[in-house]
Amino acid sequence: MSRLFSFHRMMVISSSTFTQLVRMKVFYFLVVFVLAILVAHFFKLPHTSGPESSAHEELRMLKNATIGAMSLFATIFAITGTALLIPKDIEDRTLYSILSKPVPRLDYLAGKLLGIISVIFVAMFAMDLVMTGALELRSNKVMNEVLTSAAQQGYDAEATEAARQEVLRHGSTWSLQAGVLALFLKTVILASLALFFSTFSTSTLFTVIMSFVVFFIGHIVGDIREYLELMNNGETSIGSSLTKAVGIIIPDFALFNVTDEAIAGKTIPLSAALRLTLIAVVYAALYTVISWFIFADKEF
Amino acid sequence: MNTAVEIHHLVKDFRTPMTRKPFRAVDDISLTIKTGEVYGLIGPNGSGKSTVMKALLGLVRPTSGSCQIFGNDSLRVDSRHEVGFLPENPYFYKHLSGEETLRFYGKLCGMRGKKLQTRIDELLELVSLDKARKRRLGGYSKGMLQRIGLAQALIQKPQLVILDEPTAGVDPIGSRQIRDLIFELRDQGITVFLCSHLLEQVQEVCDQVGIIFEGKMIKEGSLEELISVENQTEIILQDASPELIAQIEALASSEAQVIRSGKPRTTLERLFLTATQSNSSQPPS
Repeated sequence: MSRLFSFHRMMVISSSTFTQLVRMKVFYFLVVFVLAILVAHFFKLPHTSGPESSAHEELRMLKNATIGAMSLFATIFAITGTALLIPKDIEDRTLYSILSKPVPRLDYLAGKLLGIISVIFVAMFAMDLVMTGALELRSNKVMNEVLTSAAQQGYDAEATEAARQEVLRHGSTWSLQAGVLALFLKTVILASLALFFSTFSTSTLFTVIMSFVVFFIGHIVGDIREYLELMNNGETSIGSSLTKAVGIIIPDFALFNVTDEAIAGKTIPLSAALRLTLIAVVYAALYTVISWFIFADKEF
Repeated sequence: MNTAVEIHHLVKDFRTPMTRKPFRAVDDISLTIKTGEVYGLIGPNGSGKSTVMKALLGLVRPTSGSCQIFGNDSLRVDSRHEVGFLPENPYFYKHLSGEETLRFYGKLCGMRGKKLQTRIDELLELVSLDKARKRRLGGYSKGMLQRIGLAQALIQKPQLVILDEPTAGVDPIGSRQIRDLIFELRDQGITVFLCSHLLEQVQEVCDQVGIIFEGKMIKEGSLEELISVENQTEIILQDASPELIAQIEALASSEAQVIRSGKPRTTLERLFLTATQSNSSQPPS
C-alpha cells in the first residue's frame, strides 16, 4: 500500500530537482558574488580622522552590499525558479512518466519545493561563509586602525573599550547570522507562494508577476493594518476585517526586515529568530497544502 | 486467464473556455485486456487513444465510467505499482544521463541499492544503450530517447506496460528493436497495451485490437478474427516449378475463382532492414 506521503520519494524528487538546477549553472552566480565581495573588500572610506568616525561604516557597507546581493539572488531565484519547474515538467511531458509511477502528487510537489529550497540554502550558506570571512578580515583591519587612532588621540580605557565594542558590533555577529536566516526564511515563503500559483496558472509569466505582487503586498500589509486600526480607534470595520483576512492569507514580509537591523549592528534576540522560523514553516506548509489540493485534481 | 485492464463505459468530457458545450474526447468505451495479451488500440490522430491511456494512468479523471488495473481503481496511486508507461514523444530530464534517468525512476518505485543497479544494467543492455549510459539525455537521438523511455517503463518489472505511439518518429531499425522488445515482453507473460496509428506494426505484434474513432470504439476483437477474409485461401509455395503452378491454377479454376497468383512481395521495411543489416556486416571499404 502506498502511503499518502513518502519521505524517501520526496527526497528522490528533491535531489533530482537540486541536480537539475545545479546543472542549469545557477551557482555561477556565486562567482559573481565573490568578485563583488572582493571589490567591496578593497573599497575604503576616508575614516582616518578618529575612532568615532566612519570606521564601522565600512563594515556596514560591506554587509549591506553582500546581504543585498544575497537577497537579490534568493528572491529572484525563489520566484522564477519555482515558477518554471512544474510548467516545464508538464510541457516536456516528464510529469506523465513521473506520475505514472506510484508517486502521490503531494510527494512530487513537496519534493520540487524542497529541491528549490535546498539550492537557495546551499547558495546562501556559501555566500554567508564568504561574507563572514570577508567581514572578519575587514573587522580586524578596522579594529587595528581604530585602536591605533584611539591611542594616538589619548583615549582613556573606557573610551577605547567603547570604540572596540562598536567595531565588534558591526563585525560578524550571531545577530547578523539571524538576519541572514530571516532572509532565507522569507525566500522559503516566497518559493512556496510561487509553487501555489504555478499549480493553477497557465503561464510562467503569470506566476512570476503574481508572486512579486503578493511579495509587495506582504511588505505593506502590516502598515495598512496599523493605519486602519488607528483610523477606527480599535473598532471593527469591513475594511479592517478585510485587511485582517488578507493579513492571514498573505504573510507580513515586513516582519522579516530584521535583516536591516542586523546590518545596522542591532541585536536580534533568539526568540525573534525562533518566531520568524515558526511563521515561515507555517506559511510554507499552508501554501504547500493548498497547492496540493489544487494539484490533486489537475488533469494532464 | 486473469484480467489486467478493465475499462467500463469510460466517458471523458473536456471543458473548453468560452463554449458551453464540453468536448467529448472519449464516448462510452469499454474494453478488457487479459493478462499476457498484447492489445492494440488504433485510430486516427485525435480519436481519443491517448485520453483512454491517461485515464488508465489516473492522469485524467473520467467524467463517468471506471478504469481498473489488476482490480485496482486506476485513480489510486497503488494501481501504478504494476504499470510501466511510455508516453508519446517522451522527454525526460535532459540534465540526467541514461543511467541516472533509470536510477531516478527506479527510486521513485521504491527500489534501491544493488537490486536497482542490477536492474539498470539489465535494462541498458536490453535496450542497447549500455555504451551511452553516461551520456546526458540532451545528446540522445529520438530513437535512443524512445528506448530509454521503454527502459524506464520497465524499471520496476511491471506486469502491465502501456505504450503510447512507441515507434513514432523512430527509424525502421529502432522501430524493429522496439517491436522485438514487445515480443520479448509477451514471451515473459507481461501484458502490453499499446496505441498507434501505424497499422502494420499493430498487426504484427497484437493479439487483440480495438479501433477507436471520434471517441467511440467502432470495432474490437482478436486480430485473426478481424483481418482474415473468411471466403479466401492463400497457399505460399517455395521453389515451385512453372509447370506445377500451372497445374494448381488449372485445378483451382475448375472448382473456385482464382483471384491472384504471382510472387509474394516483401515489405519495403523488410527490404530496408535486410539491406542495412547486410551492409553493416560488411567492413567499411
